[in-house]
Amino acid sequence: MSYKDVLNKLVEEGLLTPSGEVKPHRPIYVFESGKIRELFTKLIDLAGVEGFYVSTIVGTDLMKDGKVRLDYYVVFLPEEETIVFRTFLPRENPEIDSLLDIIPGVLSGECETYDLLGVVFKGNPALKRGFFVPKDVYEKGIYPLRKDAKV
Amino acid sequence: MGKPKILDLILKNLLSKPATIEYPKKETVIEPDARGRHYADLNKCIGCSLCSIECPADAIKMTPIPPEYEAPKRNPRKLYPVINYLRCVYCYRCISVCPTNAYVSTNEYRLATTKTIYSDILSLSTLPKKTG
Amino acid sequence: MAITKIIEIPYSLEIPVGPQHPALHEPLLLKVYADGEEVVKVQVYTGYNHRGIEKPAERNSFYRDIFIVGRVCGICNTVHANCYVRALEQILGIEPNNRAKYLRVLAMELERIHSHMLINAVMAEIIGFESLFMNIMLDRERIMKAKEILTGNRVLADYMMVGGVRRDINDEKKNKLLKLLNKTEKRVKYYKQVFMEDDTILKRLVDVGIITKTDVLKHSLIGPPARASGVKIDARASDKYDAYDEVPFNVVVRKEGDSWARMILRWDEALESINMCKYILENLPSDGNPVPDEKRLPRRFPPGEAFTRVEAPRGELTYYVMSDGKPMPYRVKIRTPSFNNIINTANVYLGHSIADVPVILVSWDPCISCMERITVLDLTTGEKKRMHLKELARGGRKWVSPRYSI
Repeated sequence: MSYKDVLNKLVEEGLLTPSGEVKPHRPIYVFESGKIRELFTKLIDLAGVEGFYVSTIVGTDLMKDGKVRLDYYVVFLPEEETIVFRTFLPRENPEIDSLLDIIPGVLSGECETYDLLGVVFKGNPALKRGFFVPKDVYEKGIYPLRKDAKV
Repeated sequence: MGKPKILDLILKNLLSKPATIEYPKKETVIEPDARGRHYADLNKCIGCSLCSIECPADAIKMTPIPPEYEAPKRNPRKLYPVINYLRCVYCYRCISVCPTNAYVSTNEYRLATTKTIYSDILSLSTLPKKTG
Repeated sequence: MAITKIIEIPYSLEIPVGPQHPALHEPLLLKVYADGEEVVKVQVYTGYNHRGIEKPAERNSFYRDIFIVGRVCGICNTVHANCYVRALEQILGIEPNNRAKYLRVLAMELERIHSHMLINAVMAEIIGFESLFMNIMLDRERIMKAKEILTGNRVLADYMMVGGVRRDINDEKKNKLLKLLNKTEKRVKYYKQVFMEDDTILKRLVDVGIITKTDVLKHSLIGPPARASGVKIDARASDKYDAYDEVPFNVVVRKEGDSWARMILRWDEALESINMCKYILENLPSDGNPVPDEKRLPRRFPPGEAFTRVEAPRGELTYYVMSDGKPMPYRVKIRTPSFNNIINTANVYLGHSIADVPVILVSWDPCISCMERITVLDLTTGEKKRMHLKELARGGRKWVSPRYSI
């Protein structure tokens, strides 16, 4: 199925809500953080294992709203269109299920987001604090990319 | 196991002279507009500090012009930029953002020296000294 | 089958040039567990691949960030600056004129040629073919000279600016560039033939580190390692940014999936890039000054976010820039291609011998310029030995004299 049909089907099932776009022409779809595994399993079923790849995972600290925003940038083949899947997590205790067993390519993105922002990916055995951040920073329990962290 | 494919190239190189330019006996060929050491021409500088604000490496400090030099009238605050050549990354942002095009750029690439670390001597040499 | 040796490979990611180092230096450790000669397990311990720039990027203005971001990587500095500048242009809504777009593509393609020559030379050095390494580096100097003519500096070309480029070229420079490109094209064709026919290279590289198409997409591998396994992804062909919709080129794809295919693909891409550069130089549009007036660019940016992709020599590089109305960005996220390619491929080494580990590692083009030494810990006797990566590539035998490489 082409990527547009896949996305329309997921919108109909209520998993995704379209909400604007990131320039230039990358549509954003918001989903609930608890349903991430369901969303990606359906994506693999509908588009096939060779139909897409996860390009980047971006975490942003929205300190004023009290949330952490997590974006999954997924590129659908063969058209090579980039779609953004966006979710919001509470800032005090950001946790989300890990996708490592269904898509092994998210290993680097999840490890980095944990180390820099403190988002816990439940079920990922490779998460550890010294992945990128040097020792003297993580021993103080600082997550460097948070807006109130002084590094 | 056959002979390597580049055997003819190796034999040709064996018989010709080495490709290295023997610096400093022979000069390296450098373009006339390569990015080398730059300094401010104080006859045009107005002391606005834009170069100091825009420098990505924070290599420029605005210092007062010493009293024995005659500062031009267009520079009311009598400040001039001093570049720390060891911090500079030679991106030439200061040159492109100056409102009066006061910077002089050269292609001086021999920058490993302990004598010219700050640009104050070069910049002040563009000003006449005070007479009397 | 007892494990008798643990090989720790500390692997330092260094930015090759630049007095300013905004990124941290941290070593990457590949702990390779070997049984005899065969690799049974690999663990990746990383430090920072070019990050540590995301936090200072939020404290500097947008324009200072252009130069900071260009110093993330020495070999691919034009593509980093280009991706960031295009993200800024998307937020502002500016588009540069055609001549500026063509000049940007010229700088990026010159960089692709020299980067591919560099990694092929490093691969030749790793397998011990030092005379080939030296000859490729000699021919690469012509491309560095071409970059100096175009941008003013051999390596770090601070060439990109919001709204265009920072320098223009005239006819005299154009002729010099064409002469250099013609000479380089003959040499690149010769080296590609060497890589296709030489016995040593074929014996070391063919069937080493094979990855299948499904593996590539599940593990999010990008760039030449993906294209060598039959996956046709290229950010230049899909996003068509700058002048890539007008300059003709082919996306090179191979289906073998081993280290040899990855290196031959890079030579093919270098030949494509030379053709593109020649087309650009002959068909430069003259619709205005490509250099914007840097004094008149806006200081405050409207709120918005942009996500741009660019095809770096190593793969797909992505930038995410978010601004909230101030003169400094709120979030800058850089995802370099080596990030995906190195960390997600810890399982490709299994089943190969120790001497294949450096060959596989270099074939994904890790963005470093010097690989460091390796510690071999012999579990039976408890002694540690330090070896160069080159010695490991020769099978770890110390009596091989470094003078006789083949």
